[in-house]
Amino acid sequence: MMRIERITNGIVLDHIKAGVGIEILKLFPTELLRTKIDYASYVDSPSMHVKDIIKIENVDVNPATLLKLALLSPSITISIIRNGHVQSKMTPEIPPLVEGVLTCTNPKCITLLESYLSSRFHVSWNADGRIRKQCAYCEHIIR
Amino acid sequence: MGSFSGRHIIDTADLATEEILHLVEIANQLQDMGRDKARHVAAGKVLATLFWEPSTRTRLSFESAMFRLGGHVLGFSEAASTSVAKGETLADTIQTVALYSDIIAMRHPLEGSAFAASTYSRIPVINGGDGAHLHPTQTLGDTYTLLKEKGRLEGLRIGFLGDLLFGRTVHTFARLLARFGAEMQFFAPEGLNIPEYVRDSLESAGANFKEREWRLESIEDLDVLYVTRLQKERFFSEEEYLRRKNSYIINKEALSKAKPDILILHPLPRNEEISVDVDPLPNAGYFRQAEYGLQMRMALIAACLGVVA
Repeated sequence: MMRIERITNGIVLDHIKAGVGIEILKLFPTELLRTKIDYASYVDSPSMHVKDIIKIENVDVNPATLLKLALLSPSITISIIRNGHVQSKMTPEIPPLVEGVLTCTNPKCITLLESYLSSRFHVSWNADGRIRKQCAYCEHIIR
Repeated sequence: MGSFSGRHIIDTADLATEEILHLVEIANQLQDMGRDKARHVAAGKVLATLFWEPSTRTRLSFESAMFRLGGHVLGFSEAASTSVAKGETLADTIQTVALYSDIIAMRHPLEGSAFAASTYSRIPVINGGDGAHLHPTQTLGDTYTLLKEKGRLEGLRIGFLGDLLFGRTVHTFARLLARFGAEMQFFAPEGLNIPEYVRDSLESAGANFKEREWRLESIEDLDVLYVTRLQKERFFSEEEYLRRKNSYIINKEALSKAKPDILILHPLPRNEEISVDVDPLPNAGYFRQAEYGLQMRMALIAACLGVVA
């Protein structure tokens, strides 16, 4: 079994939907170059069957990043580690309207040409429990 | 029901069913008023028609509607001749034009552009088409057409024939008809069927609809046939286009198999999909449809300006 080491200061991202961890790592481009990151994919999980886990040392997360993390994997739990202890643990809430965080992938969407427009997405849940992110401008649904 | 005064018209989905019926009432009132009286309804008001892409029919219909209400019109009909060509943003264009006019009708090639414009406008914005996305004034005009010609929407059996993938008029119209309990049948060449998101929204609305292959006898039990253009560039090959297009032509002979009072509609412009031999028949509703579209645009302009109740 793969071992994920304890960290002293940083964040632990747990209960990530299996396979989505690689997308989450893209939110930390600077840290990928300068700090220690542990990433385990498809780890056994009693509650989720399988999941991804990421630990990043010496990093803080702002509210916008928290929201991006939750939009990528709504099941995620984020623990802030200080001096070897869990200072706080959270599952960010996703509001029904998300502004300025996501980018529309429809090449004909007005937000791509008029880049000053703040992106807006209506967030809802499909019957199968999957998250649905729909552009408020062009109605395109992004993955 | 909310007031229309000062309101933007971006998507028919934003309008409650009773609001749509109220617009129909306003359109009727304006026609009953007669031309002389109607010419005073929006006297002194200015409509800006901002068309970033060419559209003869929709633009002229908006302009005619405003002239018939006694108002004035300014605007542009292509981006090349405007400050847009100098790099001006949509937001700046809208905020400036809002100083010169009382209401805006716009068409733009990008999807979501009318909604974006509405967020920067202090005067009403009416969406005259945003890319392949929405065309609410066409839909409202088509709804008005059916009510005037057939007197009802509920239970009407309506066939849609042609390119149903790229035809935005069909997408918005079908979603609205689902609300009114019409029965819909979609006939499209392979690969040009209604898009999945439209099918999904019709299914989730509990709409009564079927997708079928077009045969000559398909016309037999329809009350209305809504035809759209088959565009050559949508086919994989010229051969495929030529093979398909003849089977999708509505002519006098095809109508001989239909109910005597079948109504033939088309958002226009047409190519060869409706033969000119249909034009003299009372079933040919497409030119009357363009006139009802104009009357509905009069109602929309007057309602959003707040000059009618």
